[in-house]
Amino acid sequence: MLDKLITWSRIKSPWIIHFNTGACNACDIEIVAALTPRYDMERFGVQLKGTPRHADVLVCSGPVTKQIKDRLKRIYDQMPEPKFVVAVGSCSCSGGVFDGCYSVESGIDAIIPVSAYIPGCPASPQAIIDGVVKLLATLEKKEEKR
Amino acid sequence: MLTDLFHIVIFPGFLFLCASGMTAEYIDRKLYARLQNRMGPPWFQPFADFMKLVSKEDIVPDEANPSMFRAMPIFALTASITAIFYIPLWHVNALYHFNGDLIVTIYLLTIPTLTYFLGGWYSTSLYSKIGAVRSLTQLFAYEVPLLMCILAPALLANTWSLSEMAAFYTNHKWYWAFNMIGFVVSIIALLGKLEKVPFDIPEAETEIVAGTFTEYSGRLLAIFRLSLNIEAITGASLIAAVYLPFGLELPTAAGFAVYLAKLLFIIAIMSLSRTVFARFRMDQMVEFCWKYVSPFAFLQILICLIIKGVWVR
Repeated sequence: MLDKLITWSRIKSPWIIHFNTGACNACDIEIVAALTPRYDMERFGVQLKGTPRHADVLVCSGPVTKQIKDRLKRIYDQMPEPKFVVAVGSCSCSGGVFDGCYSVESGIDAIIPVSAYIPGCPASPQAIIDGVVKLLATLEKKEEKR
Repeated sequence: MLTDLFHIVIFPGFLFLCASGMTAEYIDRKLYARLQNRMGPPWFQPFADFMKLVSKEDIVPDEANPSMFRAMPIFALTASITAIFYIPLWHVNALYHFNGDLIVTIYLLTIPTLTYFLGGWYSTSLYSKIGAVRSLTQLFAYEVPLLMCILAPALLANTWSLSEMAAFYTNHKWYWAFNMIGFVVSIIALLGKLEKVPFDIPEAETEIVAGTFTEYSGRLLAIFRLSLNIEAITGASLIAAVYLPFGLELPTAAGFAVYLAKLLFIIAIMSLSRTVFARFRMDQMVEFCWKYVSPFAFLQILICLIIKGVWVR
């Protein structure tokens, strides 16, 4: 009963923090657009938070550059459990066109575990919302399996 | 003994304040969303946020002072709950009253701000330290006008007890109309006290991450958020009791409805100002409070003294 309530509350109130891991800013603009009144993410309880301590979902955009690798790890470690990572855009899913570049590591999942991939160059706000909703749906399924 | 326990834990103590505080947060956020032409969160949103934060991991930074870091949210919650017992809510008499409970209530409503300062200071993070210092600076700006403009109606009623003030204004109908300047001033001060826009300088998200609460996570953050919500209810109740003292002589059910309507009115004003204004800078806020708000609070005291000398005999 209590577990169910806690899972419900996690699904209903995902607070996100947005972190640019080396993106060209196109995905960032789309993420910010998804938070504007037109798409109104607060309907689903999504709030943009400034500090990783408050956030549940780390929304990353862009390929991981060698410079940002340690910072990304540090931000991830600063988040309290349970935490999820969403990779927005083709570059953050796999490295995209930058894969193999001398200054780029690879996708986000080479550094930290990723829960949801949202491809697109850039991913549209609808796709981002869809991806986050699907991530939350998998939470619900996990609960049912238990 | 048992009734005291009932008052403290259930009604109008902890549980009632939690429920009403969360409802206040929902109304605030929903109004804010509707004024921005969007749908806004569903009705259970504050409860879901609270449950989620409670079930999350608590992180205490290595550099922080663990006992102070953990104690501060609880102090904030306790102080803001205790303040409600001295405020007349829907009846002339508060639960407990003595001569001077006006000062005690204002003092208890100051403690949460001090805990934000101490909690931020002992997190030892740079951002939370800046936020802590800002919240204390802000305290010096709004606290004086708040105290002065709440003392003015007390001067008119010639008592320092909130319950006796309520009785005076119930017996002398329409005297509350003299205190309208004080009402506006105290709403401004309450906005500063609750760190709401335009006075959300201590937790300015775009400048200093999350200000005082930067290092707080999980349960401790949940308690801090709850204490802020409850402080909104107690502050609004104080303003309602001092400046809108009508409907107190009604039977309990009707009086309770009037009380809720007053709270709703004050919360609606606050979320309207949250939508309309942008954040002030620290120096602008202090200047605004000392140059414009304080003189109006003085004017309120002057009006009350003159009326007291000329009219009330």
